[in-house]
Amino acid sequence: MSTVVSVDLLVLAPALAPVLGVVLLLVGDALAPGRAGGRWALPVAACVLVGGAVAAVRAALVAAEDPARTLCLPAPGDACLWSAGPRASALQAGVLLAAAAALALVHEAAALRRDTAVTATLLLAATTGGVAVAAARDLGGWLVALELATVPVVALVALRGTRPATHGALGLLVTSLASFALLVLGAGLWLTATGEPTFSSAAAAGAWEDPQRRAVLALAVALLVAGLGFKLSLVPFHAWTPQVYPRADLGTTAFLAGASKLSATAALLVLVSALAGVVDGPGPALVLGLPAALSLLLGTVLALRQEDPARLLAWSTVAQAGWVLLPLTALSEDGLRAAAAYVLTYATATLVAFAAVSRAGARSLEQTRGLLRRDPLAGGALALALLVLAGLPPGVVGLVVKILAVSAPVAAGVWPMVAVAVVAVVLGIAVYLRWLVVLPGPRREGDARAGGEPPRGWASATVLVVGTALLAVASVLPHLLLTAVG
Amino acid sequence: MSPWLLVAVPALASLVGVVVRREDRWAGAVAVLAGGLTLLLAGIAWVLEPGSTAGHVLDLPVGGLDLPLATATDPARLAVATVVALVALAVQAYSTWYLGADDRYGQFAATVSLFTAAMLLVVVSADLVLTLVGWEVMGWCSYLLIGHWSRRPEARRAALKAFLVTRVADIGFVLGVVGFVAGAGTSGLSGVVGAWREPTGCLQEQLAAGAPLPEALGACDAPDGRARTVLLVLLVVGVLGKSAQVPFQDWLPDAMEGPTPASALIHAATMVAAGTVVLAGLHPLLADSPTARWVLGVAVSVSMLLAAVLAFAQSDLKRMLAWSTVSQVGVMLSAVAAAPPADGPDAGLLHLWSHALFKSLLFLALGWAAVAAGGTAAVRMRGSASATPVLRAALLVGFLSLAGVPLVVGGVSKEHVLAAAYDGAVAGDGPGVLVLVALVLTSAATAAYATRGYLLLTAHRRDRPRAGTVTPAAPAVLWALTGASVLGGLVVLTGSFALHQVSLLWLVLTVLVVGVGVALALVGGLDRDPAEVLARRLVPYADRGLGVDGLYRRVVARPVLRLARVVAYVDTEVVDGYVRGTALATRAAGWLGSRLHRGERSSTAVGLVVGGALLLGAVGVLGWS
Repeated sequence: MSTVVSVDLLVLAPALAPVLGVVLLLVGDALAPGRAGGRWALPVAACVLVGGAVAAVRAALVAAEDPARTLCLPAPGDACLWSAGPRASALQAGVLLAAAAALALVHEAAALRRDTAVTATLLLAATTGGVAVAAARDLGGWLVALELATVPVVALVALRGTRPATHGALGLLVTSLASFALLVLGAGLWLTATGEPTFSSAAAAGAWEDPQRRAVLALAVALLVAGLGFKLSLVPFHAWTPQVYPRADLGTTAFLAGASKLSATAALLVLVSALAGVVDGPGPALVLGLPAALSLLLGTVLALRQEDPARLLAWSTVAQAGWVLLPLTALSEDGLRAAAAYVLTYATATLVAFAAVSRAGARSLEQTRGLLRRDPLAGGALALALLVLAGLPPGVVGLVVKILAVSAPVAAGVWPMVAVAVVAVVLGIAVYLRWLVVLPGPRREGDARAGGEPPRGWASATVLVVGTALLAVASVLPHLLLTAVG
Repeated sequence: MSPWLLVAVPALASLVGVVVRREDRWAGAVAVLAGGLTLLLAGIAWVLEPGSTAGHVLDLPVGGLDLPLATATDPARLAVATVVALVALAVQAYSTWYLGADDRYGQFAATVSLFTAAMLLVVVSADLVLTLVGWEVMGWCSYLLIGHWSRRPEARRAALKAFLVTRVADIGFVLGVVGFVAGAGTSGLSGVVGAWREPTGCLQEQLAAGAPLPEALGACDAPDGRARTVLLVLLVVGVLGKSAQVPFQDWLPDAMEGPTPASALIHAATMVAAGTVVLAGLHPLLADSPTARWVLGVAVSVSMLLAAVLAFAQSDLKRMLAWSTVSQVGVMLSAVAAAPPADGPDAGLLHLWSHALFKSLLFLALGWAAVAAGGTAAVRMRGSASATPVLRAALLVGFLSLAGVPLVVGGVSKEHVLAAAYDGAVAGDGPGVLVLVALVLTSAATAAYATRGYLLLTAHRRDRPRAGTVTPAAPAVLWALTGASVLGGLVVLTGSFALHQVSLLWLVLTVLVVGVGVALALVGGLDRDPAEVLARRLVPYADRGLGVDGLYRRVVARPVLRLARVVAYVDTEVVDGYVRGTALATRAAGWLGSRLHRGERSSTAVGLVVGGALLLGAVGVLGWS
């Protein structure tokens, strides 16, 4: 076996860790079903996720010079199915930590449910896919990993068992199938255009040179972007997002908003890095820029009208996905870097916001009034997260990544996108300030929830503390984040 | 010894004073001790360090500019610094009595300390940026001091008026400083003077080297003569504002709403005299620019004569002193304006020195007399000083000095000013003749109103003159200042001021002119108010400062307010209209978006996905090929 394909287990560790967790959980659940109410499953899963994240960070540090490769075919092809540079490793670490945060929020609500082992297993499976897709360089592995990152989430949404949740899951499943069809079609066209089953610059360059194959390549990229647009919640593939977010439980939503977005971006970066520096002109920029501009505008405008925090965060996700896509329209190395930095910052801030909402138990913005006094930890963390999302100091890191995201299109001369970004910045500030201003307000009379049952739950507290610490450190020393993404 | 010490001690005292302001005794002790220490330091520096030294703390390159933050101490500057410190100490000591019962005495003492620090900074600064800092701090402190009794609407209005009028003039000062610094590339006084001294030097060199005119103009982008004139005039405008010269004169009489010690400080040694110090530093440039000299000369000639006439006709004695300040500052500045380059500005600085002594003496003595009489109106104050020997002596010496009688301090300095103006008139390229004529007329008018003031306060008897109760501080201060006013003229023997010999002719002329003035005042006899005799009709107009306040309102305030209303209208109706429109459009877009997302069916979502993919595919294929 090893004579055909080389395998380096240490390099694969970020993906293997959740797989190991899945095996452990399934075996444990089979041996002692329902032991301790199944609550042991979540800490075990969290441990393997953190272990995987440590492995990913190690890989990022080691791979500073040279991408870590494994699963390589023997010469002369010398193609490696797994190739993780520092950026991919940083995104993998992000996916694993975001999944751990989602698990923590699931844990908080675990008293209400019986099937925690199943939930944890599904989460770990989806995480495996998300980690693997960041390093996948061949079409097959990329597609399988991407689907592995999606399908378990549909089950997670449905698992809640309520009628709206099932409804949401159905919508998610149907759209995800449609988008998978698009992805497969796009992958097939890519193979047709380039003649190679890998995402490589050389292959794309060959297809770009030939006018006839260029049209096929264009269609392939358009379909792949459309398929990924579903996972990233880009307009017009976003319709499931505002339906599913408020209906699924907060842990699942946090997974969708954090880990899922990170893995979708990682997949997108694999595709765009094959195109960066090879293709240019208004066409490619338009294929990426159209969904980005629509997402920025529609997401922000609709987020302005929401009263439910989950729905607000759903539309905010749509707008932020536009921000992630925005620097990629430059089709340059700087753009890739900016997108990775942006998505990491966004995921951290959004997870902190979800943790704070979960802790406050708020179902409307009005219920978070006075949160800063009632629960300074949740209120303070939420305030910082909102400032980061809006890009206002003291959430400096939000501002830094926004500047990076805009500077790539500026350098490439994609001015229409810059104009859209400016409008989105202004409207975005209104979105998050609208929420921020209610946080320091006085306690409202006659609000039962505000009456002050003491805040509980060390799991969400951990997420809040770690997330806020990450945001604060990145705000003080933004270059740490920028070196991490290459 | 670093001149910074002179600035630091009172500045520190003001900080400490703010901290201990609730405890009157502590605040007073801090203020007086710091004042004494400052005077000691200034005196030591003056006596022990003859010759000029220049120092700078740090070179601060800011962009293309060089900020040396330099200080300079030459004997003239140190003499002025000493007299500033002396007057400040006198004011602080006197205030412990005068404002002893005031509930905001602590703030007052701290402000006076800060004011002193700012003035000393202007005196020792050899850097235009430092000068500007001191200048601005003085403006701010004067606002606080004039408005000290802020519960009275008149005091608030006077403070605001002083602040606004000087601020308007400061526009010129700031522009002038910025222009000079930018042209020279440095803010150091010597650098600025050096760079602007010969504005056409570079051009002439280039032309002499054979370069054609356009190229020479291109090579010499630095200062040129016309720019220098404009900047000097701007600077002069700022100085006229702070020194309350025409057309900015009207804030100073209103500033009498402040406590008398504050008036003594502002009028005698600090704010109004600061312009003289600044222009003296830039005298090499000023002497070379006839236009700026004419602007300054005309303004101060009009000011000193007008103010002397108005002072004579005031029905309020404190306002009489205020107008006399306008007149005397005009005399100081006239020396700077008229003196030819060879003479230098030191005659003006000498008059600053003597004016500081006798004007503080007069103000503090009048303050005491006013407390005894219960008001400052001439009718009320008649004879109020007659019962107290110290007041009689102080007022006698003070008014003699003001009138310019030879041998006392005011007379000595006035002779030097006259001599400088004569030199200027002979040299003939400046406003020398005009200034000389104005000076002679002003001297006569000054003698007349000084005589009037002394007659009213001491000679006219009232029923029961009372001295009032005072602490020992007040008489001590007055005796000290009286002595200084008698002997202060000896400063010319120290050689601190670079002065020319004054011939005996000027002495005779001064005596003659003063005699005319005194005689004029005594036309109605010893027992009648000379203003009633000579200028009964003028009194109501003089009390209102010839209605200049109304002129300010009509010419400046109303047009500015009208313009402000237009701007506000444009802002709220036009600019805000766009902003409101944006908000409206955003809200409408949000409503439309929610309408579109109301149908939450899976088929809609799938339709959107497929439709989006088709659109994107079409765009991709068409755009790429």
